[in-house]
Amino acid sequence: MNGVDFKFGKGSAVLLLLVLIAAVLAIIRFAGGLGSITNLNDGYGWGFWIGFDILAGIALAAGGFVMAAVVYLFGNEKYHPLIRPAILTAFLGYLLFIVGLIVDLGRPWNIFHVLVNWQHHSAMFEVAACVICYTVVLALEFAPNVFERFNWTTLTNLWRNLTPLFIIVLLTVFTAAMTHNVVWTVVAFLVLALFEVMVRAGAIRRDPKVPTLLIMAGVIFSTLHQSSLGSIFLIAPDRLHPLYYSPMIPIMFFLSAVMVGPAMVIFESVTGSRFFHRKPEIGLLSGLAKAMPWLLLIYIVLKMVELAVTGEFGLLFASGGTSALFWLEMLLFLVAFFMFLSRGVRNSTSGLWWAAMFVVVGVVVNRLTVAFMAHHVPGHTYTPDPREILVTIGIISAGVLVFAFCAKYLPIFEEEHA
Amino acid sequence: MRSIGCLYDSTRCTGYRGCMVACKQWNELPAVKTTFFEGEGYQNPADLSGDTYVYMSYHEMIDPKTKKLRWVFGRHACMHCVDPGCVSACPVAALQKTPEGPVTYDAGLCLGCRYCMIACPWNIPKFQWLKALPEIRKCTLCSDRVAEGHPPACMKACPTGALTFGDRAELLAEAKRRIKASPGKYVNHVYGEKEAGGTSLLYLSAVPFENLKLPKDVDTEPRPHLTAGAMSAIPAVIVGLSVILGGTYAIVKRRGEVAEEKVTSGGGQS
Repeated sequence: MNGVDFKFGKGSAVLLLLVLIAAVLAIIRFAGGLGSITNLNDGYGWGFWIGFDILAGIALAAGGFVMAAVVYLFGNEKYHPLIRPAILTAFLGYLLFIVGLIVDLGRPWNIFHVLVNWQHHSAMFEVAACVICYTVVLALEFAPNVFERFNWTTLTNLWRNLTPLFIIVLLTVFTAAMTHNVVWTVVAFLVLALFEVMVRAGAIRRDPKVPTLLIMAGVIFSTLHQSSLGSIFLIAPDRLHPLYYSPMIPIMFFLSAVMVGPAMVIFESVTGSRFFHRKPEIGLLSGLAKAMPWLLLIYIVLKMVELAVTGEFGLLFASGGTSALFWLEMLLFLVAFFMFLSRGVRNSTSGLWWAAMFVVVGVVVNRLTVAFMAHHVPGHTYTPDPREILVTIGIISAGVLVFAFCAKYLPIFEEEHA
Repeated sequence: MRSIGCLYDSTRCTGYRGCMVACKQWNELPAVKTTFFEGEGYQNPADLSGDTYVYMSYHEMIDPKTKKLRWVFGRHACMHCVDPGCVSACPVAALQKTPEGPVTYDAGLCLGCRYCMIACPWNIPKFQWLKALPEIRKCTLCSDRVAEGHPPACMKACPTGALTFGDRAELLAEAKRRIKASPGKYVNHVYGEKEAGGTSLLYLSAVPFENLKLPKDVDTEPRPHLTAGAMSAIPAVIVGLSVILGGTYAIVKRRGEVAEEKVTSGGGQS
C-alpha cells in the first residue's frame, strides 16, 4: 500500500457532521432563495462566500501552479515530493470552489452560457473561463495518480501523447474567446505548436514525467485567473475603498497568490504530517521558506508604492475600520516576513507552521476586505449570517475528508526518505 | 443615431408619484410594505428592490437662497448609461444596451453572479433574494413599450411635465436651454450629461444633486473603460508566458544535459 495511515475516527465524524449541516443549509438556500440563509442584500450583492470560498479559496490553491512551475519548469527537482500534495490540494480546492460557486450563483443552471457566449470585455467572463480551463488542466495533472494506482499504462501513454495537443487547442480557443482577434489566436497557436514540435523533434528535451505544455498551461491559466479575480473590482471605484481600489489590483492579487502558494504548501505539509503521522519534509520546507521573505517584501513594498503614487497615505489613519483592516493585513505579512528571515524559524516545524499561518490569514483578510468589508454602499450594511459561515466550513470539511481519502488510496505522498 | 432618453426636471415635480404607480402597473410588480427607516428621505418604499424599479425620494431642506424650508424630490431608477458598466460586466450578455437606448435584461442567459450590482455606479440592479428562481430586476425604460412607439409608462403618467421623453441629444439641448432661460433657477449642471460617460436619463435640479440622494462624485469615465486595460493585456500574457516559460524550460533542460554529459556519456533520468 502506497497510501498514508488514516482511519475514520472521531475527527472524521465531526467533519462529516459539518458537511451534512452545510448540505441541509444548501437545500434550504435552493428552496427559498439566497436571502433565506444569507444576509446578502440589495446593497451588498457579494458577501462572505465570494470573499472566502472564491477569492481566498482560489488564492490558497495557488500552491499547485507555483510548485509545478518551480519543479517542472524551473528545474528544482528536489521539491518533487511536495508537488503531488500541492496539485491534489489545488484540484480539490477548485472542485470545492465550484461547489461554493454553485451555491452562491443565483441561476447556476445557466453557467454553460459562458462556454458559448464569449463576452471578452467582461472580467467575470475571464474569471469563469479560467475556472473551467484550469480545473480541466488540474484534472489532467492529477490523472497520473489514478493511472499509477491501477497500473493503467495504456492510459498513461495516451495521456502523455495527447495532452500536449489538447492543451494547444484549449489555449488557442481560450485566446480566441478572450480577444475575438485572429492575429492573437494564430500567434498563440504558433508559439505553442512550435514548442511541442521542438520537443517531439528532440530539439528540446522531453520531460519524462509530465508533458511540459500541461504545466505551462496551468501556470498561464492560474496567472490569468488569480489576476482576473482582482480585475473584477476595477469597475467598482464607486464602492471599493480607495485604500484598496487601484489599477494595480490584478497585479497585487497575482503577487499575493504567488506568495501564499508556498506558505500554503508549508502549512499543509506540517498539518498533514501531524494528521497522517508522517515526518514533515523539513529540509524541503525550509528551502521553500527561504523564498518567502522575498515574496513578502515585494508585495509589501508594492503596496506602499501604490499608496504613494495615488497619494493615499493619509487614508491609513483616517478611514476607521478599513484602515484597521489594512494595518492588520500588513502586520500579519510583516510578522511572517521577519519570522521567515530567521534561520531558527525556518528549521523548526512549529516555527514554519506559524509563519505560514500568518501569510495565509493575511491573504484571507485581504480577500475578505476587497470582496465586501471595504465596500461602501449608502443605506446598506452587511455582516455575514452564521449560516453562511457554516456552509463554507462544511465545504472545507468535505475538502479535508476527500484529501485524506485520496492520500490513503492514491500515491500522493512519496516514500519517506529518512 | 437616434437614442432615446428622458429628462427629469425636479423643479416641475410635485412628488405625486403617479410614475411609481404606473411603473408597478405596467411591470406587474407587487406593492412593498411600508417601513420606517433611518437615513435620507421620507418616502416609501425606502429604496429600489426586486419589486420597485423607480421611486421618488422626498427631502426637506433649507433653501440656500430663500433660507426657507422646502421640499425637493429625487428620482431613482436605472440611468440607462450610454456605455453601461453592467453590460460590459455581464459574463453572458444577459444585460444588453439596445440601439434605441434602453438597457435590457434576459433572465434566460443570466447566471445570477450579481457582478452587475457591483459594477453599477448608482447601485441600481436588484436581485430577488427570496426566490428559488431569482432574477436581476431593474427599470428597462419600458423597452417593450418603446419598441411599439409608446413612451415609458412612468412618463406617460406624469401630469406636471416633470418627465419628458425623447431623443437624448434633443433632451440635452432642451435641458441646457432651460438652464439658460431661467438664470438662477437651476443648478448649472445637467446630471447625466457626463456622469459615467453619460446616461440616457438627464436630471435638472434647483438644489445640488446630492440633496436629492444622487451620488455626486460619479466621475466621467465610462465604466467599461476601467476593466478594458486589464482585459486587453490577456493575449500578451498568454503569448509572453508561453515564450518565457517554454524558453526557461528549454534552457534549464539543456544545462542539465550539458552537466550530465560531463559526468557520464549518455543515460537519461531514472
